[in-house]
Amino acid sequence: MNIVVCIKQIIDPEVPMSQFKIDPRTKRQVQGNNPLVISPYDANALEVAVQLKEKHGAKVTAISVGGATTIAALKSALSIGADEAILVNEPLLAGSDQQGIAYALAKAIQKAGACDLILTGCESGDWADRAVPGFLAEELDIGYVGYVTRIEVRDGQVVVRRVVEDGYELIEAKTPLLAAISSDETNAARYAKLRDIMAAAKKMIPVWKAADLGLDLERIGAGAARVAITDVYIPVKESRCEMIDGNTPEEKAAKLAARLRELKLI
Amino acid sequence: MKFGLTEEQRLFREMVRDFAAKEVAPLSKQVDEEGIFPQKTVKQMGDLGLMGVAIPTEYGGAGADNVCYAIAMEEIARACASTSVIMSVNNSLIADALYKFGTEAQKQRYLIPLASGKLLGCFALSEPGAGSDASAQQTLVARDGDVFVLNGTKNFITNALEADLALVFATVDRPLRAKGVCAFLVEKGTPGFTITKVEKKLGLKGTSCCQVLFEHCRVPADNLLGEVGQGFKIAMVTLDAGRIGIAAQAVGIAQAALDISLRYAKERVAFDKPIASFQAIQWMIADMAVQIEAARLLTYRAAWLKDKGLRHTKESAMAKLFASETASRAATKALQIHGGYGYLYDFPAQRLFRDARITEIYEGTSEIQRLVIAHQLLN
Repeated sequence: MNIVVCIKQIIDPEVPMSQFKIDPRTKRQVQGNNPLVISPYDANALEVAVQLKEKHGAKVTAISVGGATTIAALKSALSIGADEAILVNEPLLAGSDQQGIAYALAKAIQKAGACDLILTGCESGDWADRAVPGFLAEELDIGYVGYVTRIEVRDGQVVVRRVVEDGYELIEAKTPLLAAISSDETNAARYAKLRDIMAAAKKMIPVWKAADLGLDLERIGAGAARVAITDVYIPVKESRCEMIDGNTPEEKAAKLAARLRELKLI
Repeated sequence: MKFGLTEEQRLFREMVRDFAAKEVAPLSKQVDEEGIFPQKTVKQMGDLGLMGVAIPTEYGGAGADNVCYAIAMEEIARACASTSVIMSVNNSLIADALYKFGTEAQKQRYLIPLASGKLLGCFALSEPGAGSDASAQQTLVARDGDVFVLNGTKNFITNALEADLALVFATVDRPLRAKGVCAFLVEKGTPGFTITKVEKKLGLKGTSCCQVLFEHCRVPADNLLGEVGQGFKIAMVTLDAGRIGIAAQAVGIAQAALDISLRYAKERVAFDKPIASFQAIQWMIADMAVQIEAARLLTYRAAWLKDKGLRHTKESAMAKLFASETASRAATKALQIHGGYGYLYDFPAQRLFRDARITEIYEGTSEIQRLVIAHQLLN
């Protein structure tokens, strides 16, 4: 079984609010001194892939679109259990929207070779627009299931568990399949063992450009983007305090309930 | 000359920092307040390779270098000093000693499980009358056929309560002082090996610190480490390397002190401004940062020299001396910056203050480090 995991390197989403800054010109978060990490749901996807590898002997390839710093994220993926890693580092991709990124990823996956499963995080830890997995499946013309937490392999098929509002569904699907992974107690990202980190540091990671992938330049970059960010801002927090009066706890509770209903909060 | 970390070291730091933030730090308050040995964390650390960082993989270790070990110690100590000393004793004081001086049979039997975290070790050198004067060993050892028999008392033994194996030092003849000292690997549960007291300490409350009694304790002759009379050298060589670990621990504690000071100074408002805007606080923070960086560089240099197989006695002593005193200063300043809140158990400044202090004392007091440095320079 061949599994590809698409990972994205982002600014650590756990940074304190005081360190979260937006550049008004680029409309992007400013990295500053904040560390870069693998997007959390992508880390869950990697864990699912490595578990399948341990159980069924799969080969896992991590692919990412990014810059020079993304090598560190791919090395982390290798140290956690990916067998190979590939970086798509193409300056012309700058300003691409979700479809442009999905297109580049699709071409990289096709160049990497046939695969049975493609795993992504269900949303990125920065923009969280949940668009790339669907566009990617469309580019590759394969089935797609979102919010998957677990995957089993049975009799040449995969059975995926998808989270729904009041429980989960089990879906049987033929491969190749794209599954966007959400987190649960079975797929918490593992810590890399030290000896695996040492081994990963020595591995070479190929870097592919637009020419290597045969990308249609009309489909990438800011010029091809169909989505444009018009504004990004940090909402101003306000707080107001309204006192609910009453002579007894019961009276206060009744007035509180009425007020909450009036404000359409319940 | 390159100051940067290698790619391996950077990746390693990222992993340990993440592990420390998610698994070690959340338990640090409870470990301190309840005096709990962090059993689950220690097992996780063993699985990750953190209990034998610089031991080769064929002996159960992670096969990394000593700079990686220093990085690991710093990051774990930054999250919890108690957890870091458990790691330090196992790595520096027993696994390293076994690797350098053990027979192949001893390495197979003890080093592999120690380095992989399946066994925990402790280092039994100190005695009521032999601390800085380590050659004044009173614990006696005598050969009896194919065993050695130990009699004596050790004190201030870290990890003794939880350890499976002790590296114990004893003398064949007290007047011989250093020349008579031998080193033995003694398994917990050996008849005559008893923990007689668990000390209550100012800090590092997640580790045990014990008085240990050896009473006609019979140890197989195969468990002699090195040669008869080589024990003092084993102890000194081991402590030389152990200083790098403690220096790194001290850097971690100091860094934690700076971290909490930065956070508090930005949040605490006085006279309508965050106190971070006041020069008095800024100067304290700047001084802390400079000293921490200097301590870190001294520590990494000592680790780098050890990795190169070069002598590092002076450099290890310098790193341990400066880093430990930096930790105490930084923790004191952190407490001061926190004002009244620094004095409360609800805030971490007081724990760092208590944990930092021992780094100036154990594994060679600051006074001994100064003697070592002066001796290296003058001879």
